[in-house]
Amino acid sequence: MAQRKLGNYLRMHRKKLGLNQGQVAFLLGCKSGAIVCRYERATQEPNLRTALAFEVIYSKPIREIFAGIYDEVEKEVSRRARRLAKKLSKEKRAEGGRRLQMDKEPHS
Amino acid sequence: MSRRQPELCRVLAIDPTVRGFGFAVFEGPEKLIDWGVTQSRRNKNEWSLRKARNLLDGYKPDVLVVENPNGNGSRRCERVCCLIEEISGIARHRRIRVRTFSRGDIRDAFAKLGASTKYEIAAVISRWLPELKTSMPHYRKPWMAEDARVNIFDAAALGLTYFFEVGDT
Repeated sequence: MAQRKLGNYLRMHRKKLGLNQGQVAFLLGCKSGAIVCRYERATQEPNLRTALAFEVIYSKPIREIFAGIYDEVEKEVSRRARRLAKKLSKEKRAEGGRRLQMDKEPHS
Repeated sequence: MSRRQPELCRVLAIDPTVRGFGFAVFEGPEKLIDWGVTQSRRNKNEWSLRKARNLLDGYKPDVLVVENPNGNGSRRCERVCCLIEEISGIARHRRIRVRTFSRGDIRDAFAKLGASTKYEIAAVISRWLPELKTSMPHYRKPWMAEDARVNIFDAAALGLTYFFEVGDT
């Protein structure tokens, strides 16, 4: 079984700074710490602004805070990139073949 | 079966206390990702088992490290021995490896770093893991009750003993 990172390391960074969930919620502009709890447990994903706010609060890049999610996204994008590269390579070969055929045909 | 390098291992260490347990979650010997103490005055074992299940399901560790209650230097009551057995059973059911160390094993591991008492071991750990400095308990005099925060360090000591042993082999 390959080692997988946690979806996020929000709790680790919060505890390192010595903040509680209520305090982080205040910094995020939220009313209660319950939302921070949901983010930490990964039952809810933050939106872009909130993710950037976490980067500001913890002074760590998003890809480090949400390391597990980043790894998943990286894998998915890499897979699609390989499929795209194959597709482009096929289209290029087909294009090359058509040009060759056109060159061989006698000019009227 | 290939052995995973210790620095890639996620380890959950649990140290039962009078009212609950202290815990520490590591991803390698230098990365502490969660720590704390959970307590309840009633139905202590039931509460502790529920919390332990949450930790095992939330962090999905590779290894669970607990104290060996029958080992050298360990003096645990029957309730705690049962709790350790039940938590180990839950982990095995989830196909998580379980390692046990006695108090004597932990003291031997930290003796190499010049620490023999609980306080000295906690001091060594707080230097190794600075995020635990604020949880460092005061020096305990003979008439004082044990500070609950000590259990965080007891759990961390269990986790680090695992890494010391795996690193040495």
